[in-house]
Amino acid sequence: MLCIYSMYSGIHISQTDARPMYLQIMEQIRARIAAGDWPPGKELPSIRALAAGLNVSVITIKRAYLDLETEGVIVTRHGKGSFVADVNGLAGELKQEQLAGHLEQAAEIGRLLGLTEDELAARLRRAQRNLEKKS
Amino acid sequence: MNIVTRKLIAKELYVNRWFVAGGAASGVISILLAATGKMGFNVGALTWLTAIIATGVMLGIYGVMNERKEHALQFVLSLPLSIADYVRAKMLGLSACFLVMWLVSSGAALLLVYWKESIPDGIAPYTVLLCLFMLANFMVVLCGSIHAQSEALTSAVIVVTNMGVSIFMFTVAPLPGIEKYMWGPTPVWTSTFWTVLGCELAVLVVAFTLPFFLAARRRDFL
Amino acid sequence: MNDKHIEMRGVRKNFRFFTLDEVSLELEPGQIMGFVGPNGAGKSTTLRLMMGMITPDAGEIRVLGHEIPRAQAVAKRDIGFVSAEMRLLPHATLGWHMEFMRSIYPEWDGSYAATLVKRFNLRPAQNARSLSLGEHVKATLLLALARRPRLLILDEPTTGLDPVARHEVISELMDVLRDESRSILFSSHNTVDVERISDTITFIDRGRIVESGDKEQFLDRWRRIHVQLPPGATLPELPNIVKREADGHFITLITNQYSDGLKNLAGPHVTQVQRMNLEEIFVANVVYNRETRGQ
Repeated sequence: MLCIYSMYSGIHISQTDARPMYLQIMEQIRARIAAGDWPPGKELPSIRALAAGLNVSVITIKRAYLDLETEGVIVTRHGKGSFVADVNGLAGELKQEQLAGHLEQAAEIGRLLGLTEDELAARLRRAQRNLEKKS
Repeated sequence: MNIVTRKLIAKELYVNRWFVAGGAASGVISILLAATGKMGFNVGALTWLTAIIATGVMLGIYGVMNERKEHALQFVLSLPLSIADYVRAKMLGLSACFLVMWLVSSGAALLLVYWKESIPDGIAPYTVLLCLFMLANFMVVLCGSIHAQSEALTSAVIVVTNMGVSIFMFTVAPLPGIEKYMWGPTPVWTSTFWTVLGCELAVLVVAFTLPFFLAARRRDFL
Repeated sequence: MNDKHIEMRGVRKNFRFFTLDEVSLELEPGQIMGFVGPNGAGKSTTLRLMMGMITPDAGEIRVLGHEIPRAQAVAKRDIGFVSAEMRLLPHATLGWHMEFMRSIYPEWDGSYAATLVKRFNLRPAQNARSLSLGEHVKATLLLALARRPRLLILDEPTTGLDPVARHEVISELMDVLRDESRSILFSSHNTVDVERISDTITFIDRGRIVESGDKEQFLDRWRRIHVQLPPGATLPELPNIVKREADGHFITLITNQYSDGLKNLAGPHVTQVQRMNLEEIFVANVVYNRETRGQ
């Protein structure tokens, strides 16, 4: 009973996840923006509507929206609502951040495995080739 | 009187409808029985008394306590009313229940006295006093029950007041102003009669109004 | 104009074996407050005081701006109260109760009530006596929710409910909060639910309020810090440590005022800093509170 499926566009908040709920929400919103599902200028659900839809406290949603606004990912217009920031390349920017995050993790794991820089690069090339084969 | 109080009074009448109907029917049947001759009169009088006492006890104990026992008290207290409103609704509701039964039974008794030739009309004043005593008796039971915090206390009140019925019959009947004219052909309303009547009414009024001043002021209802 | 939904200030109530002392509490409109505490802490007593069912020995209580218990009849027009030990009137059916409520409360929403009957899997024709505990809870919730009251005061509203029913109830409660002029105060042992849906949390233990505040801040402030000391090393004296456990070189600290500064102070041997869930915070908080109060 800890990962509750909501009617709300597939956003899932898990209470067994180590990360706090507000971070999970931020991440899932960022992912949708990065994927282009939530295009620039799209209106976000109101804080109370999302709270009721996800069965998560209003204060948590507020915090997520506030932090997303600080990051520049969304824009809140007083009295009108919150919108995906209409900044050119926002989706691209978020994707870049995702990539940077993944690469850091790969480097970290490579180090733990004792791989050299070249070995790690080779693994990356292999992964890229596999991707091409699939498509 | 606000709508919640009215609704609760109506609820009281609805909930207790079988006691009231049963009691009233028993009262009437007892009177019919009493009309069938000497033996029937004794039996009928006894069952008539029992019916009224029993109805009074059921209303006085069960009627007051049942919400508390069945944990429904919180539900009622969560309605838009004050503790005083609740006490008022209980008093008026349960009194109304008893009154219905009592009016039917007392009316039947008086009707018997006046209509049946073999029963001297002179017994009418005593009958009136007895009927009113039963009403005052119920009011005392109800008053005690509403104030009592425990079932034991309520039961004690009931036992004591029912002893009062016997005491009444043994003390009032032999009173000079009553006994002298009891077997006469016409009713005589002596000053003794009026005195006893006055006492009964006083007890009734005090018992009925006391909860509105005492129980209604209670600070803790749970 | 004071528009808080609940204000309790310095409320005291003496019982023979228990005292509720210096209880102060505030609920703003649009908020949902989780009220948690061990059994016997005074949760139910506090809620009954708010409803005017008991009178305080000291202190003030205002609910929806009305003085309690003096103006309770007016206040209760707009308050929905549900408690797990509450039962419906035994002689009547659920349908009778729905009709009863409809006749008393003009705001009764019949179609919403009908929806809830289906959603909560209840039968209006069923007599109150034959309802199970869980069904009673759902029934009394239905009767409260369908009035759309401004304030809901709920004493353990998920008692006796299976996970599906619990989820339905939580969803209905969260739906109430779509309206920012409405609020909810609920007490619960289910820390998972409290953690998820509360905006503010109030802890009570042994008749006293231990803490009350923003849920996100609570969850931010409490941490479990794991330290592994190499031989010969010691841990410096740290502030705001609520509990310390040592198992050889492995030390576990619980703090209620976490900051990065604290982590730095703890030194280079910190292996992990863990967030704590509400249940863990609850237990640590109560134990710590009892220790500091010399109990």
